[in-house]
Amino acid sequence: MKKLFAFIILTGMLSAQTFTVESINGTASYQKGGAENWTRLEKGMTLENDATIVTDDNSSVELKGENTKFKFGESAAVTTSSIKKMNIDDLLLALAMEDMMNAPKKINKSSDNTAVYGSKQGEENSPQLKADDFGIKKLNGAMQIAENGMEESAVVTAKETYRKYPATKKLPSYRIYFANILFRKGLYEEALKEYYEIDKLEITKDEKDKVNSKIEAINMKLMSE
Amino acid sequence: MKILSISFLIFMISNVNILPQSSFGLNGYSGNHSSFSSPLYNFESNVSDYSQIKDWGFSAIYGMEFANSTNSNLYGISISKTINNHNISVRYTPGYQKEFSFKTGETIILQDSTSQSLTSGFIYKELFGFGYSYKFSDDFSAGFSFRYFNQEFNREAVTVIFNDNPYLVSESTGEKINFWKGDLGINYFLNERLNFALASINLLNFGQKAENSEFEQYELKKDMGGMFGLSYHPVDETALNFVYETTNAFQLGVNGYLKNFSLGFTLFHDKYQSPSIAGIIPSIGFKSDLFEVMLSGIKYFSNRKVEHGVSGFVENGLSNIINNPYSYDKILLTVSFNLNTITEKFVEFVDVKINKDIYPTFKDNYIDYPFAYGTVVNLTDDFINVKPLSRIEGINEENIQSPGSSIAPHDTAEVPFYLIIPEKYHSDKTALSYADFYLVTTNEQPDDEFQKAILVNSSNSWDGRVSNLHYFIRKDLDFSMMNAKEILSKNKPTLDTLTYGLEDFYKANILFNSFIKNLVYTSDPRATGEYVQFPRETLELKGGDCDDLSVFYSSLLESVGIQTALVNYKTDGTIRHVSVLFNTKLSPEFARLITNNDSKYFVRENLDGKDEIWLPVETTSLTDFETAWKIGSEKFNKDAVNNLGIATGKVEIIDIY
Repeated sequence: MKKLFAFIILTGMLSAQTFTVESINGTASYQKGGAENWTRLEKGMTLENDATIVTDDNSSVELKGENTKFKFGESAAVTTSSIKKMNIDDLLLALAMEDMMNAPKKINKSSDNTAVYGSKQGEENSPQLKADDFGIKKLNGAMQIAENGMEESAVVTAKETYRKYPATKKLPSYRIYFANILFRKGLYEEALKEYYEIDKLEITKDEKDKVNSKIEAINMKLMSE
Repeated sequence: MKILSISFLIFMISNVNILPQSSFGLNGYSGNHSSFSSPLYNFESNVSDYSQIKDWGFSAIYGMEFANSTNSNLYGISISKTINNHNISVRYTPGYQKEFSFKTGETIILQDSTSQSLTSGFIYKELFGFGYSYKFSDDFSAGFSFRYFNQEFNREAVTVIFNDNPYLVSESTGEKINFWKGDLGINYFLNERLNFALASINLLNFGQKAENSEFEQYELKKDMGGMFGLSYHPVDETALNFVYETTNAFQLGVNGYLKNFSLGFTLFHDKYQSPSIAGIIPSIGFKSDLFEVMLSGIKYFSNRKVEHGVSGFVENGLSNIINNPYSYDKILLTVSFNLNTITEKFVEFVDVKINKDIYPTFKDNYIDYPFAYGTVVNLTDDFINVKPLSRIEGINEENIQSPGSSIAPHDTAEVPFYLIIPEKYHSDKTALSYADFYLVTTNEQPDDEFQKAILVNSSNSWDGRVSNLHYFIRKDLDFSMMNAKEILSKNKPTLDTLTYGLEDFYKANILFNSFIKNLVYTSDPRATGEYVQFPRETLELKGGDCDDLSVFYSSLLESVGIQTALVNYKTDGTIRHVSVLFNTKLSPEFARLITNNDSKYFVRENLDGKDEIWLPVETTSLTDFETAWKIGSEKFNKDAVNNLGIATGKVEIIDIY
């Protein structure tokens, strides 16, 4: 893994705010709100709370917000709305929201069951997307958010990334990293769920040992409660 | 004339039936009991309560006395009728009669040298009576009774016929006296355990009086007084009864009840009889819904088969014909029928609470959830199955039967009422109507009914709950499908060349740009409250507010098999906003086929465990699909995701199906 670095100065709760681009090394782009296009990031630009910034290899960006400085390194994608301080309660709400978002009903009358006559062009040529770089960049960004003291927000970002980029769920190093945050925060049941899923992935012996030790530790804690 | 002796002995040649003038009844005193026979006895003991008769009541009492009898063994028959809270009762008492005969002590020697003793005879009768009572409440009733009496007095005497050869003859002097007695009474139930009765004795007396002063002393005593009755149920199966009269007479009774059977004992006392407890009245009965049979007896503790002197009779008079020192032991059989031509209530309403106003478009809602609850009480000693029926004027032509409920004896339960709104029902105006509620048990006719005003809204009315907007979406689904398919068929070439899996996304795009894009945002009509247009109306009116536009777009998508949900934003204080989410059915791996921005889609897991991409669309943007999607996703991101709106309840996702 390439070296990532970031720093942040927090003087208070970070919430919706605007950011100014203090400096750029290498190449970076940003995407505004619901826009489709990416724009090259320039020094001095002001970004709203809904912008997503992505850095290329060997690039870094330094942002300045209200009483905040945030610098993140290469191959990372960060949404400005995730640069915020959350507490444990907020994190629990965000994790619960994942289930609340799910559709509650089974749709039986889906058009999938309807016979379609004639050829469907493109069916055979549907691109089987792999775990693409952007998902990994988002996880890199989430790690840098975590390393700058916003671990709760980092976990939320990571979980969202897993959903939107399913291939990233198969990357054990990231999964272990964010599961450990849950463990450290004392969210044992949530962490345990993560570790069980990680244990089913193709992981190294070292990773497996680490995961199993965490599972054992959590089970001991839960039993003692 | 030779008067052989004047003995002044009285003996009774008939002591069969004694007419009561006070609280004494042939079956004893059992308080305000639930007997069909009450019309027979309440004339004496409880002139204000004939209430056990629900409609028609018939009673007859037949008996015999342990003595020679010349009277009818049919003691009495009665008929009673209850109309609402009124009860009238009529009694005919051929056997309520007491006859006395005594020797005057004079004897005449007839010409053939035989002798003849002269006698006097007195007959006391109660011929008939009638009563009325009014039930002011379940706890209190009051009434009166009037009874008609007849007395006959005859005395034989020797008269000298003066002529050439004077001789003695026996001549008879007699008089018939008719009169009425009237009394008032009240009954009060303090609670289920304790009840009271209060009645006058001889309050009103009018009619003829003896013209012959000789007979005045033998007339029935009419001393005015009163009686007080008390009945206490220490447990459900037992009653302790006490009645006291101002003449110092009293009765003590105990009644036991076991299912349909009853057993009773009454001890009685009055100052004219000895010993102090003059006798006992045991009774045993069986009661069904239709009839009651009671076997009772009167046993005196003193020897009754002795002759009495006339002096005692003259001194004390006769106050109570049915129960006096000259009465004999009796055995009696009482049969009563309770014939109903009207429905007897097994259950009744205490109240009906309307759960919610009627919104006709929410048809299914009233099948799943009651629109009203009736508070119903079981009036019987058994479990009762209740069938609730209801009908709303203007909506239902027939009664709607809701699921039945079983109610425990004397228990009160909440009975739900559901509503079926006919498919064809439509109303342009909100109006006040009436809901009729009925309770049916074993009878064909309802046991009870209740009417309550209810607000029936217009078909376009909405209660403000976004979860109920799906009724408007489904209402015009055929219309939406026809329009949607027409547009999609025109875009067939485009749809046929799509990459597999993108059909729903592009169909949603085409339908938005073909319909929603061309509409105008218009607020609800003023002073209409919450008002939602059906898809047909939105298209015809070429516009609507966020509710109308979201309903229309959702209806178009649902009609072609695209799953939708409404997003209810409650974050803007009192201003609510609604937009649409739809399911592209794309898995997240294929998101890049529709967008380069991962903040514009949201992943929801279906019940099969498969993640699918849903897109938020702001229908009020009234621009093209891309813009509406962009605006919708920005708002959803901000309010629902970043501000944790879904977790905190400020944003709600409501799936349509």
